[in-house]
Amino acid sequence: MTRPSFFGLILIAPALAMIAALFLYPLGFSLTSAFTVPGGGFSLTHFEKAIDLYSTDILFTLFIVITSTLLTALFSIAIAGTLTLGETPWLISSLRFLYRWPLFIPFIVAAQCMRTFLAKNGLMNNSFVAMGIMEPLQATSFLDWRGIIITFVWKQVPFVTLMLAGAMASIDRATIEAGRNLGASRLRVLIEIVLPQVAQTLLVGLVLSFVTMLSVLSVPMMVAGSQPTMMTVDMAFRINSYGDYATANALGVISYAIAGAVAWIYLRHNVKREIAA
Amino acid sequence: MSIETQASTAIRQGSVPALRGVASSSRRGFSPFAVRGWGVLSTILKGLGLAVFAFALFGPLANLALWSVAERWYTPFKLPVTYGMRYWEVVFRPTGDAMSSLATSVSIACLTVVVALAVSVPAGYALARLKLPFRTVLMIVFLLPQAFPSVAIYINVARVFYSLGLTGTIPGVVLVHAAHGLVYSVWIAAAAFAAVDKDLELAARNIGASPLRTFFTITLPLAAPGIMASAIFVFLESLDEFTGTFFVGVPQVTTLPLLLYNASMGGNYQIASITALILLVPSVLFMIFIERFLKADVLSKVGQ
Amino acid sequence: MHKSLLAAGFTAILLTNPASAQTLNVATAGDQNMVDYIKDYLGPMFEKSHPGVKVVAVGTGPGDGGSQKIFEKLDAQKKAGANSDFDVVVIHQKAAGTMVKDELLKKYRDTLPTGKLVTRDTANNSLGADVSGYVMPMFHSQTAIAYNPDLVKAPPNSYAELSEWVKKNPKQFGYNGIKGGMSGVAFVTGWVSAFGGDAAKLETGPYDAATKATWDKAMSDLKEFNKNVVITPGNAGTLDMLNRGEIAMGPVWVDMFYTWKAEGKLPPNTRLKLVSPGMPGQPMYYAVPAKTGQEKLAAEFIALATSPEVQAEGIVKRFNWYPGIDAKNVQPKLEKADWDKLFVDITPEALAANGKPFPIGPYFNDILETYEKKVAN
Repeated sequence: MTRPSFFGLILIAPALAMIAALFLYPLGFSLTSAFTVPGGGFSLTHFEKAIDLYSTDILFTLFIVITSTLLTALFSIAIAGTLTLGETPWLISSLRFLYRWPLFIPFIVAAQCMRTFLAKNGLMNNSFVAMGIMEPLQATSFLDWRGIIITFVWKQVPFVTLMLAGAMASIDRATIEAGRNLGASRLRVLIEIVLPQVAQTLLVGLVLSFVTMLSVLSVPMMVAGSQPTMMTVDMAFRINSYGDYATANALGVISYAIAGAVAWIYLRHNVKREIAA
Repeated sequence: MSIETQASTAIRQGSVPALRGVASSSRRGFSPFAVRGWGVLSTILKGLGLAVFAFALFGPLANLALWSVAERWYTPFKLPVTYGMRYWEVVFRPTGDAMSSLATSVSIACLTVVVALAVSVPAGYALARLKLPFRTVLMIVFLLPQAFPSVAIYINVARVFYSLGLTGTIPGVVLVHAAHGLVYSVWIAAAAFAAVDKDLELAARNIGASPLRTFFTITLPLAAPGIMASAIFVFLESLDEFTGTFFVGVPQVTTLPLLLYNASMGGNYQIASITALILLVPSVLFMIFIERFLKADVLSKVGQ
Repeated sequence: MHKSLLAAGFTAILLTNPASAQTLNVATAGDQNMVDYIKDYLGPMFEKSHPGVKVVAVGTGPGDGGSQKIFEKLDAQKKAGANSDFDVVVIHQKAAGTMVKDELLKKYRDTLPTGKLVTRDTANNSLGADVSGYVMPMFHSQTAIAYNPDLVKAPPNSYAELSEWVKKNPKQFGYNGIKGGMSGVAFVTGWVSAFGGDAAKLETGPYDAATKATWDKAMSDLKEFNKNVVITPGNAGTLDMLNRGEIAMGPVWVDMFYTWKAEGKLPPNTRLKLVSPGMPGQPMYYAVPAKTGQEKLAAEFIALATSPEVQAEGIVKRFNWYPGIDAKNVQPKLEKADWDKLFVDITPEALAANGKPFPIGPYFNDILETYEKKVAN
């Protein structure tokens, strides 16, 4: 297994061909427009412009996506952990029934639901007021960065949980029993025995979530006002208002670099793990 | 030996340092009465937690349901002023083509799943089991369609498809959706194959099974749950997609998400809510279908 | 399992085969109600007078983004040397200028019987680009300030009064910045026209790149103003906050405003006010792509759509939108009550005095970019 497998290359060829034809080739045009000036050669002008105008938005995007990813991890672990280690059958079965629903809601609909749910006079605050938990005057709007994060987490937790709960269900129950028999609390079993065994799945799910959230346009567009906003909104704005594909593509390259960096960190970690094993 | 088995052996032998001493510290005495009191309290807490969770999940969805039957709803009213099915009639009116767009959407999603799985099962196997040059780069390449702004790409794809005669056809749209969904199917398939115990394959080979037979009788069935779960994501991804459909399919191929997108962006809440509820049906059916199809615990090996 | 999936796929392929001999494809930017207008009203009417023809309408999304998508699709077709999929397109002003420049449209208006009913300047001049002969206005829309009379007893009459009002009533006025849609953009260009100096020059040119330096004061005032307003998520977001009473006032498109009111999504007593020195408006255009295969049908379709009867019945009566062709051709076709409904909130005089065009293209872009640099950043 030391030299590259020719057979392996044949197996991966159709998938690669598909990406090459439907993505890399068209992407070439975009990269060209991002890195050149009209009639001229190589240039970083568009990147300068992108940074100059949208540096705040780039940082804002990073903040939103990283925070959402961390929260998604936290909630997914909690739910999947309860599903695996819980000892109350009715709780587990209701939880299993409940958690998946947001998976089926497209982002654009999630955005629309949240816009009317999280608003100052939205359904959430109205329900709290009706239940007597809150005074009407205390109502605040969540339609800003918090709204974006809530929507992302709401939408991505079921995705990661679905993968994570599956992985947890398949680990050797004996390891869990052993921990429990030694008297470890369930939280401790979850963190010290279960999680290390499913870390791989968790990371795949989180990387995919991270990249997905980075590319969503409708949520930042519909949930929060535009100052500051996420990079996808800026890209759409550049194209729709100025017909300026070059700067939009430059922003796209930055976005892809962020996604690539995260994927690379994950894959490095993976390689180290394989070597260690 | 994989890290998982190492870990489990270690634990079985009681040699994980973190767990030493747990046994002695957690033996505290409770009177039977206190135990019963704690039980009741714990049930109440669990119920409360579940209620909060359900509220967080279904609150936004309740909004959707309410808007789909709200004919008038404005401040200062907390709930719709008048209810009615008027907008359902609008969506299903004879000149509207909600049902035929829905049929197109579902067919495209099913075909997308077939295409995406057909190319990503071999690719996933190769990435997981065979030695490939630049494996990391290849994995990142599959992330591309998710990460790069799609509009710029689809314009160029459309240009290429015009010369191939693929625009305005179902295969054209399926190809675009499949490329977009490949990240889920390839990444998850690779992880699923990586999780299959190599010892089982070796055992099969030792008793004389051909590599192909081993793959189809041992490896593929064991990786199937993960691959099927990826099918759910590919299906949902295709059912939500509208930018690619627009550039490649419209006007000959129109799908329901196009209507959903227009209505949502324009704030036609009633129409958008109803469309979203309609789209929920195939999504949920597909999930149930996949679970039935697998019979056993469908998620037991997802994405390891 | 695969067999059933394939079967489903083939059924879908069969379903998409054209059922009629001739299909007229109409692509429209704008809200869903524009698509429905063609699907439910214009399409069937046209099919009745042209047996064997089927009208297919597709929406491309609201705002300039929707028009941009039509442009991109036509552009891709042109570069691929293919015939265009669309036979009639409905687009915004900005895209119209670009499309004419890139030779994506056909010059068809002069052959149309209704072509001479158009009198508005915007039918020839689209943000400074000469589009004469290439476009027919479908309807004209206008931005204005919507307000809830329960919360605002005396609505401001001008930008200056509005600015004072916002100081006294923080977070009661909302607009959607410039990235969330054209109603916010319109508010900002109106602000620059009001406080940035020579408004007439912005509308008619000539362009002078140095002009943007004179907006510094207006822009810093706007930044100050923004501290006391709510930035809403999009055109629909502003209306949405009015719906729930979270803001008392905000700039909206008049056509969207009436649609929302008709759909029961705004308090019935919500009113409009067109403040001085004026807010911009723009038409939606009917245009014919240069490489359509259905040139004759397309022209006949647009002729029908811009006939006084359809403009009266479809545009004014159905939607409460301002007609695209000259009003004097439309008014006689309507009951007085229907016609007057157009001017309940905004009188014809106010519309004439305060309904402005958007600035010409280069100034338009300068305003947006200056806003990005000085106000939003």
